[in-house]
Amino acid sequence: MSALLNSKYRPLWIAALALVVLPIVFQAIGLTLDAATVVIILAMAAMGLNLLVGYTGLVSFGHSAWFGIGGYAAALAQLHWFKDQIVLSFAFSILFTATLSLLVGFLILRRRGVYFSLLTLALCALTFAIAFRWTALTGGEGGLGGIERGAIGPIDLNGHLTYYVFTALIAFAVLYALLRVVRSPFGHVLVAIRENEQRATFQGYDIDKYKLLAFVISAAITGLAGALVVFLHRLAAAESTTVAFSGELLAMVVIGGMRSFLGPALGALFFLLFRELFSIYTDNWLLYFGLIFVGFIVFSPVGLTGIWDQLRRRFSPPPEDGAAMSKRKIYEGLPLPEFLRPKRVEGAVLEAQGISKHFGGIQAVRENSLKVEAGQIHALIGPNGAGKTTTFNLISGMFMPDTGTVRLHGQAIQQLAPDRICQQGLARSFQITNLFKGLTIYENLRLSLQARHTARFDFWRDIDSYPEIHAETAELMKFLGLQGMEEVGGGDLSYGGQRLVDLGIALGSKPQVLLMDEPLAGLAAGERERVSRLVTTIASNIPVLIVEHDIDRVLGFSHRVTVMNQGEVLMSGTPDEVRNDARVQEIYTGTGTPPVTGRSSVASGDRPLVLDFDKVNAFYGKSHILNDASLQVREGEIVALLGRNGAGKSTLLKSLVGLVPPASGRVNFNGREIAGQSAPDIARIGIGYVPQGRGLFAGMTVAENLALGRLARPTDGKTGVVWDEAQILEYFPRLKVRMNVAADYLSGGEQQMVAVARALSGNVKLLLLDEPFEGLAPTVVQELFTVFDKLRQHVSIVIVEHNLDLVLALADRVYALERGAVFHEGAAEPLLTDLDYRKKILWL
Amino acid sequence: MEIVFLLEQVVNGLVLGGYYLLLALGLSLIFSVGGIVNLAHGAFYALGAYVSLEVIKHAGFSASIFITPALVGLLGILFERYLLRRFYTADPILSLLVTFGLAMVAEQLLRMIWGSAPLASTMPPEFKGQLIAGDMMFSKYRLFILGVVTVVMAGIWLLLHKTSFGRVVRAGVQKPDMVAVLGIKLQPYMTAIVMLGVATAALGGVLFGPISIVHPAMGTEIMTVAFVVVVIGGLGSFWGVVVAALLVGVVRGITIHFQPAAGEASMYVLMFLVLMFRPRGLLGERIERFE
Repeated sequence: MSALLNSKYRPLWIAALALVVLPIVFQAIGLTLDAATVVIILAMAAMGLNLLVGYTGLVSFGHSAWFGIGGYAAALAQLHWFKDQIVLSFAFSILFTATLSLLVGFLILRRRGVYFSLLTLALCALTFAIAFRWTALTGGEGGLGGIERGAIGPIDLNGHLTYYVFTALIAFAVLYALLRVVRSPFGHVLVAIRENEQRATFQGYDIDKYKLLAFVISAAITGLAGALVVFLHRLAAAESTTVAFSGELLAMVVIGGMRSFLGPALGALFFLLFRELFSIYTDNWLLYFGLIFVGFIVFSPVGLTGIWDQLRRRFSPPPEDGAAMSKRKIYEGLPLPEFLRPKRVEGAVLEAQGISKHFGGIQAVRENSLKVEAGQIHALIGPNGAGKTTTFNLISGMFMPDTGTVRLHGQAIQQLAPDRICQQGLARSFQITNLFKGLTIYENLRLSLQARHTARFDFWRDIDSYPEIHAETAELMKFLGLQGMEEVGGGDLSYGGQRLVDLGIALGSKPQVLLMDEPLAGLAAGERERVSRLVTTIASNIPVLIVEHDIDRVLGFSHRVTVMNQGEVLMSGTPDEVRNDARVQEIYTGTGTPPVTGRSSVASGDRPLVLDFDKVNAFYGKSHILNDASLQVREGEIVALLGRNGAGKSTLLKSLVGLVPPASGRVNFNGREIAGQSAPDIARIGIGYVPQGRGLFAGMTVAENLALGRLARPTDGKTGVVWDEAQILEYFPRLKVRMNVAADYLSGGEQQMVAVARALSGNVKLLLLDEPFEGLAPTVVQELFTVFDKLRQHVSIVIVEHNLDLVLALADRVYALERGAVFHEGAAEPLLTDLDYRKKILWL
Repeated sequence: MEIVFLLEQVVNGLVLGGYYLLLALGLSLIFSVGGIVNLAHGAFYALGAYVSLEVIKHAGFSASIFITPALVGLLGILFERYLLRRFYTADPILSLLVTFGLAMVAEQLLRMIWGSAPLASTMPPEFKGQLIAGDMMFSKYRLFILGVVTVVMAGIWLLLHKTSFGRVVRAGVQKPDMVAVLGIKLQPYMTAIVMLGVATAALGGVLFGPISIVHPAMGTEIMTVAFVVVVIGGLGSFWGVVVAALLVGVVRGITIHFQPAAGEASMYVLMFLVLMFRPRGLLGERIERFE
């Protein structure tokens, strides 16, 4: 008895109570018993819809199509085959609706998001058109009459009360079935799909199948409701297939509460009461109902049940992250749980051979080969643009390689979809946190563990009847050091916590090999320590392939390192070999020989400060990118910003121009405090920006791009330097014949020239350049070098560039960044001329 | 079946297509700029038809062509400022739901203000009658509509491609951050585009009032067609929408003539077919957020 009363089955008790009380209350307030029957029918339809909308996240604007189809099918079945029979007609209706929805779902679920929703809208309109016009089949406008309720055994269904009881019993049975579906492993996967479809795929779920089944169940339930209403009114009419009715169903779901099981039923009750009671006072009740609908979406998309939850939470708040952290028990040095250990193998576990990939015209990765062996931590490093991320994505199934093979335990996996790859035994973690943010940590991990279990398609048994999955989840949480924080939401965790969970989700797939994408990025020192130790522990059983920019640490704990440069593998060896290899050092710190010449004399003396960027902190979501970063720029100088990828250089520039708001710190430009101002305002007071990749507008000519540069900024030259067209052509004569050519068709060098010219088309006192020499031919590099050199006297420049030989020849002073903080500042000259000094400062 | 007859049907189909084009263009514009599929667009069309009836009483048809879209456009500014703007960065599903709800509300408002009964709109006398060209006969008014639609379409194209305003809008669609660092504030442009989109829909209502029935549900009816057009042509594509509108118009016109009952269904079949083979529409672009 106690098992039944516990909260799992509470919805059933509430529903049972409601079903008994409803007719009594309705009749007491002057409504008919039939109205109560309609409430139940609408509630069923809305709950069917909610399986798609609230649980799976697929918004259907056309559910009234199924309502109508279910009704017509039942009516036609009775009229043509099952004279006076109700049960057989219903059975046919369910079967028909399910089959039809299977076919339709198969077609339209191939599209996602907005397209899916629009397709459902079209489906609904099509159904209405058929119902309204195909008079021979559907009775057209008049509908199909002559429906008989008949009897079931000795019970005659023609009475109002008997039909109410009949409907209530069916609804209760449907409710029970729906509850089981929602509590099953299948039901939990639907929620995962809603929260993060991509991650669900990467954890091994074939989401198309899940969506299709959800679609069919949803349609069948709504169809059954439609059949019930037809037999209530003894008429099948086209009104039930209108788009307007779809809207009403959706309104019921939203107002009642999408995220709650019984919410839509509440919404149905609300709708009917509203209609019956308000229509006494005004003809325009639907107007007010519509206004309430819109009001809920704008102010409270969680609906009535959501509001109730929020109120409850105000009176008994649940544990927050801080409080939860205090319950956290961290066990250090635990070994990898038994169930996560793959069978021990020797030799190569994962082998990529000759993989290549090009995007558009660019060869991102060329003939790469890589081997990850048992018991190994294999690191993949390389400078910006080396192709490591692409290689990683090729191996983990994000893209398919053009050539080459990737083998896991000898089986080729390069052509497989991500969910199949995960099932084969390859799991990956993500750099940008990719959790199921709306779910608890416990659920995040449990979902991953469930994906490899045979029960993952089960849509009937409760997830609690799989104690082994629960046990594994608990042990995994303990291993990760998250025990005690089960109920904390994924989105509420600190950044470090989220990375741990991300790692845990990948581990939960019980992989044969684990791929980790920059697991240490953005972590504080203590957390970095913790994660490194976890990785080492994991690697004693599961081989790990790790892409990282934090080279020091990664060379410290890996067994083997592969270095990539410009899309190709440069070398592969032990960490010591890599650390001491001259070629590797060269690609990171340069050769010591500048590729260009002709720099004017070094600026010296005390010049006025143009920019004082002081102790700025900036975040991307929860990731702490800039850490008390400080930097100063004076008039007439070029300052270089150095550092490896992920160090925060681009973010520093973006926080300077206002694209990323500084969380703290001061940014003083020309005596004005600009931190927190909008990007357009900052641009107008004289900061020009040329982003990485140039940012030219496709489909527009050079002239049009330049015109946009002149549009909103002052061009009088009073608050900075400005180039008019004559001057642009003086510096970049090549552009003269290109003025009316679309920007997309220019060469890389010409594009860079246009980007610089566009930035200088308005008054500029400080010019920011992010990787301006990237991908350019040497002659173009020389041209641009000369231009920036000349500009120095008039405009201060901050330049981010990874080619050290080049940028050190150009800059006056440098700031070197690591993990968002400046670790070295000084003149450029010593670094340029003395290679050993350069390596000492900038290489490990 | 005579060629002449077929040609007449094609021209009528083009007119029908023009009808859809006015709406679909506005929809596509709002989508390109704000990323929102405006399910309430039909409401502005219906409003255009109703308001036009009132304006005609006081100022005549020719004036209504200019005044009504302007009035409804002003309403569009309020719509953008107080409703749409909240949803630019929200989950796309919410913006769908809210505009859908607004469409419901609008229909009921129209019903409340002007009643449920269909209203007749009279054709302006100067456009009554036929134009005879050789063996073919075309309604003068329909030709007039075709003319107006062509002018509007050309106008919008010119606006987007030959003016500074249009350049900012197109740049903002591609790279809003880059536009910001050039000192340009994008918000006023977005408001202007929404206003333009809404005014175009209202113009549709003004023009088509005289040849269709003005009733509260006309907005919802036209919306499903407009969406079919936008989905076939591709969300965010100017020429895609043009081609799709004309295609749908012609297909529908011809089907209605030979098998009236299947007329409505024909365009859905067309849409499903296009989507199966070209999932992003004939000329649509891949917009990550919506897939």
